[in-house]
Amino acid sequence: MNRLRLEGVTRRFGGLVAVDDVSFEVPADGVTAVIGPNGAGKTTLFNLISGFLPPSAGRITFEGNDITGRPPAEIARAGLVRTFQLVKLFEDLSVLDNVKVGCHLQGRAGLFAALFRPASARREEQALDARARDLLAFAGLAAMADEPAAALPYGRQRMLELARAMAAGPRLILLDEPAAGLNTEESAALSRIIRRIADEGTSVLLIEHDMTLVMNTAERVVVVDFGRKIAQGTPAEVRVDPAVIAAYLGTGKPAMQEPPHG
Amino acid sequence: MADWSYVPQVLVSGLGIGCVYGLIGIGFCVIYNASGIVNFAQGAFVMLGGMITQVLFARNGVSLPVAALIAILAVATLGVVIERIVVRPLWNRKATMFVMILATLAAQIVIERLTLIAVGDQPKTLPVFTDRPPLMIGSVALGYQLIWIVGGSLAIVGLLAAFFSLTKTGKAMRACSINREAAALQGIPVSRMLALAFALSAALGAIAGILITPTQYTAFNVGVPFAISGFIAAIVGGFGRPFGAFLGGLLLGLLQALAIVGFGAGLKNVAALSVLLLFLFIRPSGILGAAK
Amino acid sequence: MTISPSITSPERRPIRLVGLLPWLFAAAVVGYAMVVGGYAATVVSFALIYAVFVTGLNLFMGFAAQVSFGQNAFAAIGGYMSAVLTASHGWGPLPAMVLGIAAAVLAAAIVGFPALRLKGHYLAMGTLAIGLITYEITVEWQSVTQGYMGISGIPPFGIGPWEVTSDRGQLVLLSLVVAACTFAAGRIRRSRFGRALSAVAGSEEAATALGIAVARYKLVAFLLSAGFAALAGSLFVHIVGYVSPEVFGLHMVIVTFTMLYVGGIGTVAGPLVGALIVSLLPETFRAFKDYQDLAYGAALILLLIYAPRGLASLFAPRGRS
Repeated sequence: MNRLRLEGVTRRFGGLVAVDDVSFEVPADGVTAVIGPNGAGKTTLFNLISGFLPPSAGRITFEGNDITGRPPAEIARAGLVRTFQLVKLFEDLSVLDNVKVGCHLQGRAGLFAALFRPASARREEQALDARARDLLAFAGLAAMADEPAAALPYGRQRMLELARAMAAGPRLILLDEPAAGLNTEESAALSRIIRRIADEGTSVLLIEHDMTLVMNTAERVVVVDFGRKIAQGTPAEVRVDPAVIAAYLGTGKPAMQEPPHG
Repeated sequence: MADWSYVPQVLVSGLGIGCVYGLIGIGFCVIYNASGIVNFAQGAFVMLGGMITQVLFARNGVSLPVAALIAILAVATLGVVIERIVVRPLWNRKATMFVMILATLAAQIVIERLTLIAVGDQPKTLPVFTDRPPLMIGSVALGYQLIWIVGGSLAIVGLLAAFFSLTKTGKAMRACSINREAAALQGIPVSRMLALAFALSAALGAIAGILITPTQYTAFNVGVPFAISGFIAAIVGGFGRPFGAFLGGLLLGLLQALAIVGFGAGLKNVAALSVLLLFLFIRPSGILGAAK
Repeated sequence: MTISPSITSPERRPIRLVGLLPWLFAAAVVGYAMVVGGYAATVVSFALIYAVFVTGLNLFMGFAAQVSFGQNAFAAIGGYMSAVLTASHGWGPLPAMVLGIAAAVLAAAIVGFPALRLKGHYLAMGTLAIGLITYEITVEWQSVTQGYMGISGIPPFGIGPWEVTSDRGQLVLLSLVVAACTFAAGRIRRSRFGRALSAVAGSEEAATALGIAVARYKLVAFLLSAGFAALAGSLFVHIVGYVSPEVFGLHMVIVTFTMLYVGGIGTVAGPLVGALIVSLLPETFRAFKDYQDLAYGAALILLLIYAPRGLASLFAPRGRS
């Protein structure tokens, strides 16, 4: 069964059509990537899927349930969690607490529990703490648990954002340019972590410019240009697709060649 | 308790106060457009305009026009001083909007208290500019001060329109309001524009204060209510639109006048504030739609 | 940098001495007032009432990073409710206080629902308007509030036959209330609820993407804050025995913001420390009553420019609660 299904999804801003009649499916297993030249409408597409923007037309279903135009928090509760292109950490909180915020949906404790700390709330807090520490270890951040998030170097902040999103227990995670600003080494580490996430059963949908990352991690690629889907297939297939080559050449970018190594 | 036969007369005076609200509202917009800052010390300018004129005129025997001119210049200078010592350091530190609001509100209080210490808490007033019996149009009396207020305000609005559309500086300020970064890239001295915006806005406030004082009174604490009314005018007109703010001021003035007839003078501020909340909750972009 | 943080659980982190300093300071001030009594006790009592108010303000503004210039409205509702019910209708102070808090929370829910959708200067002005409207109503609704005259003859706080009339008794009562409020704020800070507020403060978008119901958390923080404000208002009228509109006017807004910034916004101990310092300092310049608001305003500007994280941050560059 498909995790996510887009049917004729369209978004207009005034006269501009940012996303134009896009349909595709994200299977439950593995990594799917959305690529396309700058300004192709990729981030708008993510905003539509995650509920940050309502679509002008079309239907989005997650695990068979219609989530079109639902508010973002509700979509997150359904199990679809996103990250942002520009890292949005809770800078005043510690690294650990950032991930614990990510665990929000795993807990139930409210104001009453905060004030009176019944045994159930203490147990829940311990469970969240353990889970958050596991995720930090997973993201290679265990040693920095008590640092303020703002003190982390940029590459680590990206990892923290990923760990925080995973803490929400998503069944589909949307990653918006997770490798932006990372060096080659960090990018490779990220690629391994994304693979692990997928292998452990969370579907991954990512937008990426870093072609090495896309080619190494994604099983399926959806290519968009000017808001339309122009190709779909395995990385090997889309790389030789004439429409894709034209789209990238049109922007003057040598994007679809074999990525440089080093 | 409402006596509606007064309505035409009340509307006329509402028009006068509405012009004053409009000028103050424009002051908010000028600073907001140049910087994205909402200056909650706007009321201090209004209060000081009337107060300085009154002190010069009544205590020091300066003639009214000269006193008014000195007051306007002094308040404009104060605007620049506030920009330099309060707003600029926060601006450089990229302080949040809320911190900026709080700091300017604190500046308002400081100016209020200094004025209280300097001149005491007794309300003061100015003589009307032209001391003649009012013109009668039917049963409606048109006081000469009202004509001064409406005429003066319209003249100021006209001058501002010319300033923004004809002069280089005015155009530069408008460019800043459309896109500050682009304006900076084109070599417009954005930070000088900010100081200028404070000077201009302060002068507008002072003029408003001088025009209205003869019909009411001025005291160290009249600033905040005026500032709130000016802000409401700006909201009603669509925040960031100077001429929308003037229109908003007129509407507010008329509405408040009607509220006085309907509910009594005591509740005029409640009426104005309720208009504010109504707009904020239902149509925060104002009747013309917010700028940007 | 810590090497192996996973060994120390967060509940058992060694308490640093520096973290205790604010509490020692507060205890010393209250202790001094308790011993000396009289005027010192009165000053510190007012400070503690403000501490209750500012602790609530801090929940909304410090923890959740929202803006309200109108919390004085809820203090007024609590204060007048207590005053009218006890002085004019013969109610006991406790039920009047409870009803006052409930009324303030209800009012906060009614205005908060639309107001909290506003952002930036709209929210600032909207909340300021709520405070001003309440002020005008307390002035104009003379049949109930007696306008500028105010209501006098409000009995001291008490439960049944117990009445707190002595300076020291009041100080003990208020210290207990402040301790409870601060304790509550501390627990909220380190809970799932408090983390959600911090998330709203950090980035509403990121919070909502993680499934946090941002609007609901803002509203709950606003209601809590209103409840604290009403409690402070009610305590005030019982301690002073008199209430007038000026008590909850714009002056209160400026003073409480100064307290919040002096103590350190967003910290647990900040509101108490700020309330004590800001209340005590002017007492050394008591001859200059007119200069008090001037001093508050000027101090607030200086703090915002030079020490936006509170006085403590001047000494400890990255101060965290």
